[in-house]
Amino acid sequence: MSESWQESASPDDEAVSRLRAALETFAANDAATARGRWWSGRCMVGVGNRRLLVEVVRGVPTLSELAAPLSSWDFAIVGSVRAWNALWQDPPPPGWHDLFALAKRGEMRIEGALQPFMAHLQYVKDMLSAPRHGRRRS
Amino acid sequence: MSTRDSEPDWEPIVGRYLRVPIGGESCRVYIEEAGNGIPLLCLHTAGADSRQFRHLMCDESVTARFRVIAFDLPWHGKSYPPDGAFEREYRLTTAGYVETIRAMCGALRLDRPVVMGCSIGGRIVLQLAHAHGGEFRALIGLEAADHQQPWYDTAWLHRPDVHGGEVCAALVSGLLAPQSPKLHRDETLWQYKQSGPGVFRGDLYFYRVDADLRGSLGGIDTVRCPLYLLTGEYDFSCAPEDTLRTAASIPGAKVTVMREVGHFPMSENPARFREYILPVLDEIGRTHG
Repeated sequence: MSESWQESASPDDEAVSRLRAALETFAANDAATARGRWWSGRCMVGVGNRRLLVEVVRGVPTLSELAAPLSSWDFAIVGSVRAWNALWQDPPPPGWHDLFALAKRGEMRIEGALQPFMAHLQYVKDMLSAPRHGRRRS
Repeated sequence: MSTRDSEPDWEPIVGRYLRVPIGGESCRVYIEEAGNGIPLLCLHTAGADSRQFRHLMCDESVTARFRVIAFDLPWHGKSYPPDGAFEREYRLTTAGYVETIRAMCGALRLDRPVVMGCSIGGRIVLQLAHAHGGEFRALIGLEAADHQQPWYDTAWLHRPDVHGGEVCAALVSGLLAPQSPKLHRDETLWQYKQSGPGVFRGDLYFYRVDADLRGSLGGIDTVRCPLYLLTGEYDFSCAPEDTLRTAASIPGAKVTVMREVGHFPMSENPARFREYILPVLDEIGRTHG
């Protein structure tokens, strides 16, 4: 680890960069987005201290900073950096390999209006697990 | 590819329907079996059916010594609900599940079978060991524990604004090990997509509400009826800690934690599962055959 920590990316930033790159690949993959084609909505994703907005339009996600106060979203998935990084390992360690596994161990929270989350559950799980496969495909 | 000149490429599994009264109701139960020898009755997971054991039934290392039998619980797979019960809300109970298993053993005239159940089938194996151990040659609980912490609200499994099959499959998809082969993962989840409305939820009534067996498993005699518990390391619903805690309260229970396996060992990774189950079946055949 660099001693000049102020110049290096934080673990939060590194995780967000990884998610951003994976979602760009995911959004360009018709097979990946097909499962979500019936859903348009907004999901807040918390990665450590960072708050992000995933806006999905007919299954195609776009990631942006949740900068403005009072931004609205349908549901939120908030996890520690170590939770996201474990989820994205290939293979992930046992007990850290699924959103619900992480929620059960207290490393992740799933909150808000959950009907769209549950109605499109496999799509959301695939989308937010996309960084696991990003490095392998690149 | 087979042609008209070649023999049909049959698997050894044979399926039949059995008329059997259960709990005073007339049931038509679908059964598959293969092999000869010690009867090995297999119990599928919640919201699924007997297809989970198709690989075991095609394994000559097993079927040369065991008559492997699996049935679809009423309401599941190719077993309809009991006659006249379609409009009723389905709820599996401990008493009803035990009665069903014993009714099947009686109707099939099984002589002290080995019973192997997974998930809800693993939980009921513990109850069988506690209350009816003398009726069985050995008991095997896969993904079995006396209790597990809930990890979602089962109301999501049966409501009109969420597709039941899709949400059931998506929920349990996280219980499979990432290493399991895609074909077998897909087959395992397909059964959840096909399950009848509210059936998975009805099974979980037993799992979540009616069958908290903590503190009620005293008196299990593992000398008379050996008890084997095998749990996959990727199962976060019935985690290895849950099985280990349960086994600690049962003198003589034998525990194995299976690597790179999740909640559905026999269907999600049959090759890996046989590495763990064959030694168990060998031991049963050797000592209780």
